[in-house]
Amino acid sequence: MSEINTQIKDVTNIQATSSLREMTTMFFRNYAAVAGLILLITILLFVFAGPWLHTTDPFEMVWAPFTMPMQEGFILGTDYLGRDILSAMMAGGQVSLAIGLAAALVSVTIGVSVGAFAGYYGGLVEELLMRFTEFFQVLPTLLFSMVIVALFGASLLTVTLAIGVVSWTAVARVTRSEFLRIREMEYVAAARSGSARDLYLIFKVILPNALPPIVVQANLMVGSAILFEAALSFLGLSDPNVMSWGQVIGSNRPYILDAGFAVAIPGFAIFLTVLAISLVGDGLNDALNPKLRQR
Amino acid sequence: MKRILKTVATSVATAALLATPTMAEEPKKGGTLTMAIQQTPRHLNPAVQSGTATGQPGTQLFASLLRYDEGWNPQPFLAETWEVSSDGLSVTINLVKGATFHDGAPITSEDVAFSIDTVKANHPFKSMFAPVETVETPDANTAILKLSKPHPALLLAMSSQLLSIIPKHVYGDGQDPKSHPANSEGVVGSGPFKLVEFKRGEHVILERYENYFMEGLPYLDRIVMRILPDESTRAIALESGELQMSGFESNPRNIVRLKKNGALRVSSEGYAAIGPVNWLAFNTKGEKTSDPKVRQAIAYAVDREFINKALNLGTAPTALTGIHPGSPFYDATVEAYDLDIDKANALLDEAGYAKGSDGMRFALSVDYGWPAMKPYAEYMKPQLKKIGIDVAVRSSADFPTWAKRISTWDFDMTMDNVFNWGDPVIGVHRTYSSDNIKEGVIWSNTQQYSNARVDELMEMAGATNDSNKRKELYAEFQQIVANELPLYPIFASPYHTVSSTSVGNAPDSVWGTSSPLDRVYLK
Repeated sequence: MSEINTQIKDVTNIQATSSLREMTTMFFRNYAAVAGLILLITILLFVFAGPWLHTTDPFEMVWAPFTMPMQEGFILGTDYLGRDILSAMMAGGQVSLAIGLAAALVSVTIGVSVGAFAGYYGGLVEELLMRFTEFFQVLPTLLFSMVIVALFGASLLTVTLAIGVVSWTAVARVTRSEFLRIREMEYVAAARSGSARDLYLIFKVILPNALPPIVVQANLMVGSAILFEAALSFLGLSDPNVMSWGQVIGSNRPYILDAGFAVAIPGFAIFLTVLAISLVGDGLNDALNPKLRQR
Repeated sequence: MKRILKTVATSVATAALLATPTMAEEPKKGGTLTMAIQQTPRHLNPAVQSGTATGQPGTQLFASLLRYDEGWNPQPFLAETWEVSSDGLSVTINLVKGATFHDGAPITSEDVAFSIDTVKANHPFKSMFAPVETVETPDANTAILKLSKPHPALLLAMSSQLLSIIPKHVYGDGQDPKSHPANSEGVVGSGPFKLVEFKRGEHVILERYENYFMEGLPYLDRIVMRILPDESTRAIALESGELQMSGFESNPRNIVRLKKNGALRVSSEGYAAIGPVNWLAFNTKGEKTSDPKVRQAIAYAVDREFINKALNLGTAPTALTGIHPGSPFYDATVEAYDLDIDKANALLDEAGYAKGSDGMRFALSVDYGWPAMKPYAEYMKPQLKKIGIDVAVRSSADFPTWAKRISTWDFDMTMDNVFNWGDPVIGVHRTYSSDNIKEGVIWSNTQQYSNARVDELMEMAGATNDSNKRKELYAEFQQIVANELPLYPIFASPYHTVSSTSVGNAPDSVWGTSSPLDRVYLK
């Protein structure tokens, strides 16, 4: 008996490995996705390894304000207080990416929980949870997050939570539709007939199979969370003691007509990062979603 | 030397003014002036509301007893003549004859007495008329103010938006003057222009009052005051000619840019009485900031030159004391705290705060209340790190949040901008006087500073009309507060009036655009 079990496990493992391999092949056959991945790795290297090579404190005033890029030894110039923009881009990138990831995690956690329960139980539970989701969906997201930050003060934690709390609805809807589909599958019925409990079915049986579109969605969330943080910083609603790309834009914004580069550089960095994340997300989507493989 | 130059400049200016009618073109009558104000006024009655949002339209609607010229000299307005008794305890005012309110009723001494009572009871600046005990009205054209002590700020407090003459037959109907319907609609004023329309968030439209008591004035037919909170919008509208005038412009980048425009006149004249001073305030009861040595060290570490050059682009005059540099009482000989990092470090060592292994001594926070103050607060962080103070910049979601933090003394340091309002008695004493430490009141003595000698000096200077004596007293006062440093003054806000070159007689008096624009004309 146990022998048979082991054999079955082996078979599943082989299947998993082969599907992973297949997926990887799919992903790498998509040139745009590969370009995105290379770009993303470059950005990560710049942001996390850069500070080892370039050790200037991003808050230190090192030279005359608004020194143009490539002058006086400042590759990206200096900002309105004479702080090194290159350092600010590295330190700010760490924060922007961290906020992006953390906020995406928050929104995925909320979204998956709501969507999973709604999709699994259906009926009144679904009705209530989905109306709740729609309530959040119709709120103007930027305005809502501004209110949260204004109420609870500007710190990294509140900004992250604010972004997460306003952007989980898409994840909830995707999760719900996947659950609606998968809960009717035979293997779910089989598990249920084996008297598996609801939580086991939701998190161990259905969720793993619903993951691919959620992963794609979460990946895109990182990009939009970075944009969100930039928007909040631009409006002066982020923690002024933490350098982020949005912060660099926000604090140099009044001088945009005189020294546009101080705003353009972090803006371009955000653009590249979000583009890279989107390309990778798109590639993942193609690789993970078997229906589209024939495209 | 500076003062002599100033006198020469003033006399040259006066000569030029006198010569104007014969040399330059005659002021023309007619036309509509479109100007900007920066926020919607709560209402239009300056008798019960401070602030320049109300003051700019309010001084067109309501005349005051006196007006002031560029050289701080009182000029007749509704008061044809005025006389201060030799003991300073009584002021006799003779009203101009034939002056009427916008509904045709004559302006009498009864209205003057009523206006002074209303302002005294309702205006936030209590010190303006506090010593006025009674106002006697022997006849319709004479008002006699009886004072409990000589009150040097009295004449200034009778000018511009500080004393609007309001009609007793309208506001004396028993309703609360602060919420009187005639504050915003159907205003019955006494000034050169009457109200056509006040639309919140959009505009205030004013029209010439034909029976205005000053012969031949006002020149303009109409003034449209558009409410434009965004500084870039105003700058672009000024450049395009859509706006012909805007006062209180303070963004250095915009000022520098507009100055290059040949079709615009950009003037910093007109803010001496408003007297805005920007400073870094300390909580003198704070754990670290209660030590004067710590405050002095911070002052030595802050580079005023850098702030004025790099952040203000040279548009703002340096301010060394809480009294505006344009005031006759300003003392420029006080300790200036020019940049000296070594001295700052030595002071902190002396105060017992040795540098830790990471080079830091202790942490402080710095607040700012509105976006224009943010760059200065942000500057403190890297700059004070040089002397081992780890500064956290604390942002407030909105102005009330900041005002609450500061007025309940929940702060270490904050950037602030406070107005002198003409005489130190009105706008400066409130910042330093120990009996004005009032929880919950912003722009009171939020530093919680208290010094018996300073209190005494202010009291003496506030009770004599002898301006030489006052100058001496304020000089000693400024020396003391510059040494004890409850706040570190940095600069006078770079307020500028921008007007089209087609605007004649742009308002350059000490009250700027917050004074009657009856002599302004369009070329």
